[in-house]
Amino acid sequence: MLQLDNIAVRFGGLNVLTDVNFAMETGEVVGLVGPNGAGKTTLFNVISGLVRPVSGRVVFDGRDMLRAPLYQRARAGLGRTFQIPQPMHELTVRENLRVAQRFGRGRVDEARIDEILDFLKLRPKAQADAASGLALSELKALEVGKALATEPKLLLLDEVLAGLETHGKRLFMQTLLALRERFGIGILIIEHDIETISNLCQRVCVLDFGKVIADGTPQAVFEDPQVIKSYTGGAAHA
Amino acid sequence: MTELILQSLYSGLLVGGAYALIALGLALVFGTMKIINLAHGELVLLAAYVAYTAESQFGLNPLASIPFALVIVCASAVLVYLLVSRIRVNRELNSLILTFGLGIILTNAVLIVWSANIRSTSSAWLQDAVVLGPLFSMRSEVVFFVLSLALAGGLWWWLSRSWYGRAVRAVSSNRDAAKLMGIDPVRTELVSFVVAGVLASVAGVAIYSSSVIQPALGHALTIKAFIITVLAGIGSMPGVLLGAVLLGVTESLTVTLASSALQELAGMVLFLLVLFVMPNGLFGGARRRG
Amino acid sequence: MKPIAPVAVLAAAYLLVPLLLGGNAYLMTLLVSALIIAGIALAWALLGNLGGMVSFGHAAFFGVGAYTSALLSMQAGLPVLLAIPLGGLGAALAAVAVLPALRLSGPYFALAILAYAHIFRILATELKSLTGGSAGILGIPGLPTLGGLELGSRNGQYLLVLTVVLAFIALYRAIWRSDYGLALRAMHDSEDATRVVGVNSTLLKAAMLFVSAFMTGTIGALNAHVINFLDPDYAFSGAWTIVPIAAAIFGGYRTLGGPLLGAIAVYLLDQLLFKALFPSGHQIILGVLLGAMILLSPNGLLPWISRRLQRRPATEVRHAAA
Repeated sequence: MLQLDNIAVRFGGLNVLTDVNFAMETGEVVGLVGPNGAGKTTLFNVISGLVRPVSGRVVFDGRDMLRAPLYQRARAGLGRTFQIPQPMHELTVRENLRVAQRFGRGRVDEARIDEILDFLKLRPKAQADAASGLALSELKALEVGKALATEPKLLLLDEVLAGLETHGKRLFMQTLLALRERFGIGILIIEHDIETISNLCQRVCVLDFGKVIADGTPQAVFEDPQVIKSYTGGAAHA
Repeated sequence: MTELILQSLYSGLLVGGAYALIALGLALVFGTMKIINLAHGELVLLAAYVAYTAESQFGLNPLASIPFALVIVCASAVLVYLLVSRIRVNRELNSLILTFGLGIILTNAVLIVWSANIRSTSSAWLQDAVVLGPLFSMRSEVVFFVLSLALAGGLWWWLSRSWYGRAVRAVSSNRDAAKLMGIDPVRTELVSFVVAGVLASVAGVAIYSSSVIQPALGHALTIKAFIITVLAGIGSMPGVLLGAVLLGVTESLTVTLASSALQELAGMVLFLLVLFVMPNGLFGGARRRG
Repeated sequence: MKPIAPVAVLAAAYLLVPLLLGGNAYLMTLLVSALIIAGIALAWALLGNLGGMVSFGHAAFFGVGAYTSALLSMQAGLPVLLAIPLGGLGAALAAVAVLPALRLSGPYFALAILAYAHIFRILATELKSLTGGSAGILGIPGLPTLGGLELGSRNGQYLLVLTVVLAFIALYRAIWRSDYGLALRAMHDSEDATRVVGVNSTLLKAAMLFVSAFMTGTIGALNAHVINFLDPDYAFSGAWTIVPIAAAIFGGYRTLGGPLLGAIAVYLLDQLLFKALFPSGHQIILGVLLGAMILLSPNGLLPWISRRLQRRPATEVRHAAA
């Protein structure tokens, strides 16, 4: 489904990603973890097209995506959310989903929009102004909703749970779990909370200083001494 | 033919001095505020007309009118700053339209006060020929070229050595970080407008002394200054000097080799060429990223 | 009440104005010119509002449209009513040259397009064999008579230009309300957010540039056949940029009706009042108007008035304007 070969990214003189190799199967749910500044969001930007690597290959669904612009990747089935929600300004929640559907998927299906709104519990806010009328949890839900509306084969979720209180987190977790069941799409998720990752993912990939230092089942990865050392230390035992 | 080309290279170099002062002012303001002041050329124009009035009404040599031009132009620059700094929303777009409007006001104010007639200096001393080997120029061109170089050198010293100069550079490279270091961005922006006004004053008097002026010139000067900053690339002071000379030389070569009607076209074509082929400018280094 | 208001305004514009003012040739000429300005202002506002680009060079499209139509009707002998939309297409074709400028951000685009206006003016001056050089073109054919309606008469000119401007408003409205319009509006403050959901933002911006250039060129062509004369300084005059910008900003460039109302107000004030006050530098007041609007009410007069009158929430005003 997704294959990254020898991805390297440099900003100025700084190596942000070095020789990253990574692959995902269709429908797989994988967690991407690592300390701050490890290059997780940069890797997302490489996959979705916001950052062009200095070397390497991005293959998605059998197509070489390295030179494809953002919109083509979205149309090919790569959906993503931003860590800081980026609703489309000036548009209502429903219009946000409509634009995503119209351009990402190619045609508008109102019933499908309703389904996504219901699923993310955004129905009451459908007519609200996306940029000013939503609480943080709703903005995060809208991020997921926009990506879903493009009918992705792979969903890149960048810390969709960060900033939510415990209850909101739990609700959102359930939503994500249901997402996997209901839509059968692959998910690559950046998340700091190890419990969340362990519950959600069959596989975890750890980035540190721009390199993949571990890749395997949550259990195996979180017991890897190297991961414990570089990652959050004691938290791995929680 | 070689002599003609040498002569036009020389003339282009000399006019490049005044162009550099104008472009440096525009670049300085862009550096601190991230806005293009589209009324900048009109400030230069104002200085030129102050020199004209001082000469025609009070018999002052244009060189002696520089202090008056400084006062009036710097005051106008501060006024422009005060208005621009009031913009709160959509600053990039709105500041363009606002300074465009201010340029219209200044051009038409000049038109109302001084009429559309073409003016030039009557000082014989400034218009005397200066011969340098095979090369000719007016004394005013040489005098103001030297003055421009001195001023550009002074600006370079000021930016690298004085506290305010370093503050200006700090604000241009990272406004928020500069704030954390205790630099007041508002004062720094104000200072950059005043310095731009000083440069514009000298440039205006220089243009009046060596060339002809008319109200529509301000707009043309803004465009020239913008072209030079594009040639230079953002944040490169030597680039601005070279860009100014390059524009000056391109214009004078066009006049010599083709026709004076195409002078303006040459600058525009150069501008578009650089913009599309080398968007970071001829002399700008790689753009820094976060 | 609401559905009647537009009908009443249309009826007044189409029937009352020609009937009541038709005899006053001076006033009708002013109105036609105001509508010409309105057409450019509308095209400028479309590019600004939907494309997110400020242009200081719309005179380029105006002039290219005017010359294209004049030359097609005079040298190729095309009927005037066919030459006019071809003038619009000519301007859109000229916009192809501007396409690389789309990569540039705000001030760079604004000034790159200004550079094009200068280049086109100089070309029109220098290509003497085609354009007649700085002497210009005289005797451009006027508007024809269509089905008994003398389009070349004062009233005919007024009705034709009015119809074209209203058609452009309808086109603008259709784009605004379409899914493309939604995406374009969203691109303003959140371009990356629209791109990651599959919007080809560069293509949409380019499309708006073409539409805006086509509108401006068509208006320039209409104007050429109304005044029957062209020279480079007139056709590419900065006034074709300044007055429409002032009009659009004054009326509210983010609304559909703002540019039209702004153009009528600004142009009539300029010609009837400002010119009397300052015979030579009357544009100074346009500058003051621009500055004052940006500082006091950057969204223009129309949204400001509707807020005052109706005290509706801001979002509703926006949709009402759509």
